[in-house]
Amino acid sequence: MAATRVTDLGVEQPDVRRPSALSLSLRRLLGPDWRMGFLFILPIVLLVLSLVAYPFSYAIYLSMTRKFVGMPPIFVGLENYIRLAHDGFFLRAVWNSFIFTFGSVVFKLGLGMLMALVLTSNIRFRSFFTGVLLVPWVAPTVVTALNFLWIYDGSLGVLNYLLVKVFRILPQGVGWLSEPYTAMASVIFVNIWRGFPFFGISFLAGMKAIPAELYEAAAVDGANVIQRFLHITLPALRNIVIIVVLLSTIWTFNDFGIVYILTRGGPGGATMVLPVFAYEMAFGAQRLGDAIAVALYMLPGLAIVIVLLARYMRRGHAR
Amino acid sequence: MDRRVAALAEQVAANVISRREFVRRVALVTGSAAVGTHVLGSMASAQAKPKLRAWLFKSFVTDCNEILAKHIEAWAKERNVDVEFDWATFGDREQKFVAAIEAGNPPDLAEMNYQGPMRYRPALRDVTKLAKDLAGARGGLLPYADRVMQFDGKYYGIAHQAFGGGLHIRKDLVEAKGLKMPKVYDPDVIDVAKKLQDPSKDLWGFGQTLNRCDDGNGFMQNILWCYGGSAWDKDGKPALATTFAKQNLEALKFAVDTIRVHKVQPPGVMGWTDVSNNESYMAGKLVSTNNGASLYYAMVKRNHPLADKTSVILTPGGPAGSFVFAGTYNWGIFQKSKYHELAEDMIRWVEDEKRFEEFMKASIGQAGPVYKSRADNAYWKTDPNFEGMKANVLRSMWPGYPGPITPAAIEVQAQYVLCDMAGRVVSAGLTPEAALKEAHGRIEEIHKVRSRG
Repeated sequence: MAATRVTDLGVEQPDVRRPSALSLSLRRLLGPDWRMGFLFILPIVLLVLSLVAYPFSYAIYLSMTRKFVGMPPIFVGLENYIRLAHDGFFLRAVWNSFIFTFGSVVFKLGLGMLMALVLTSNIRFRSFFTGVLLVPWVAPTVVTALNFLWIYDGSLGVLNYLLVKVFRILPQGVGWLSEPYTAMASVIFVNIWRGFPFFGISFLAGMKAIPAELYEAAAVDGANVIQRFLHITLPALRNIVIIVVLLSTIWTFNDFGIVYILTRGGPGGATMVLPVFAYEMAFGAQRLGDAIAVALYMLPGLAIVIVLLARYMRRGHAR
Repeated sequence: MDRRVAALAEQVAANVISRREFVRRVALVTGSAAVGTHVLGSMASAQAKPKLRAWLFKSFVTDCNEILAKHIEAWAKERNVDVEFDWATFGDREQKFVAAIEAGNPPDLAEMNYQGPMRYRPALRDVTKLAKDLAGARGGLLPYADRVMQFDGKYYGIAHQAFGGGLHIRKDLVEAKGLKMPKVYDPDVIDVAKKLQDPSKDLWGFGQTLNRCDDGNGFMQNILWCYGGSAWDKDGKPALATTFAKQNLEALKFAVDTIRVHKVQPPGVMGWTDVSNNESYMAGKLVSTNNGASLYYAMVKRNHPLADKTSVILTPGGPAGSFVFAGTYNWGIFQKSKYHELAEDMIRWVEDEKRFEEFMKASIGQAGPVYKSRADNAYWKTDPNFEGMKANVLRSMWPGYPGPITPAAIEVQAQYVLCDMAGRVVSAGLTPEAALKEAHGRIEEIHKVRSRG
């Protein structure tokens, strides 16, 4: 039999349970369909928890353990982080990572802008050049790095051959990957070569969206090419430049393949960057706890860049 | 639709049986079919061949790879076993082991390098009985192989081969100038190099990288021993800048001076990888270089003009004698293997003396002996260059010498600490004393971490 209740007037009515205070406040806060809403977002929440949150939390835990291959982890607290903070090779890797990233991104920005400006001008075979300039971006990193390994080779490389034998600019070949400054410059160059088309093509897309009337009006007002670039093109590209620079900073900071294939961090650690250091720690030293601690040391800096990136992307989206 | 179910459906339609009876009979039919299928499946799998996963090392000596695969396939056919091969190279072997062990999915057995038994011990089976059986039937294990296969008296690897090699030197050039083959690095190698090199023609006296790679590691380890030093003392404690500081400093100075002072090394040598010296030598740009037998193999197999002009001699020594490091390759069986008996059987098969002889003869000097009986094989007298290669193997040492092989000694090699020490002098301008001290600090830290287990 259905439950009933007696009203103040003595009338018997079916007992319809009142929503709880919590339910009411949730309803007020999240809207009337909050239960259905939760149901809809549940799959993605589970996905994020299992594929992002769990591995990330486990990585944080492992970074606080002494974990050798095939052995159970032993919790050591912050010991790995403290030890790394006093490790000269690690600190050099941090410094090298910043040099590698900064050196690469600055040049990619300049070259990318130049590429976009050239490709928006009235040159013949523009589509052809656009395609050709994209080749470095399309080529797999491994192929690129192996090609440059041969190009830079001190004895058999084409670069020394051209400089010494063909053009006779140098009396003797240069050890491009064996001297600290040339080694770092060489790996940065490969990263620039590989990455600048992304900048160029992104800027090109942005420039195409700038109304031609703006340039015409500026020209009528007597603005020269540089003034038009500074006062129309650059402001219009501002958000794209910021987003591309931030994205490239993240990618370059995490770049592993180029440095690993070309120098493995040598000579003497002169080109050791954090991703290669973490890799060597994991698979060379086989200390998984330390390796993850190295990787997590990169996190705060990258998190700042990611937050900035997200802000700019959302701002662009809002517009 | 199943014919029996269709017939039942017709009976329902004709009101011959009730719906309830239809459901009951259909459940019976489909249930028995499912059970039957499952039973048949079980019977089929009971009849299926066991599948053995074997990871093999892909050597530059490709003929040996093919012969090893052929032997394993013959064994699999004989024993009615499916074998799944996977090849690992110098560059990706350790990564694969780490990933597989941590994922709990290692192969049944694998060909490992000298580091394997020590590094992967927690995941490996104790194979003491098999190791002793095989060694006993072959006159015993040679000391360098015996030392790296065991830990605390238990064997975790079955020795297979030790890589032969030596100083590859242009005998045509040496003879043309009436010089003698070098026996020690200083002054012999330097003298020969200086007299024979011609930088204007891009011909360099000595090609030996100190960079972060196996070649650099091997040389730096050897040169410390040759000068009477070591990174470790006889108890396995760090000794780079303590017990053997003087000897190690002299050794380091010699190594870096081949580039900085004597200038007998080609430009870019500090950026070399393991294949760079092979390529340079075969391109006729080097008078001499230390390498495994794979360089000689490559020249002989390709009928390279330098093959006949090359002598492979004992690796030169130093004031304390001639010491070299040689890696013993070996078989490991993983604890997770369900087929460890089959794996042991496979190892017995490929290590059979006749089969190994076929393998060794194809190696052109690379498959150095690990058992006493193999060292006496007449094969080693068939080419004058083989004698140098074999002699090098027979006097080789293990990481950690003069102390025991330890996880810390293995990690110092794996982290290229000695290469970095040289690199810091040549490339970063540190004094040898400062670089030695810095490297000692790293070794102490590794020793500290590894000692705690």
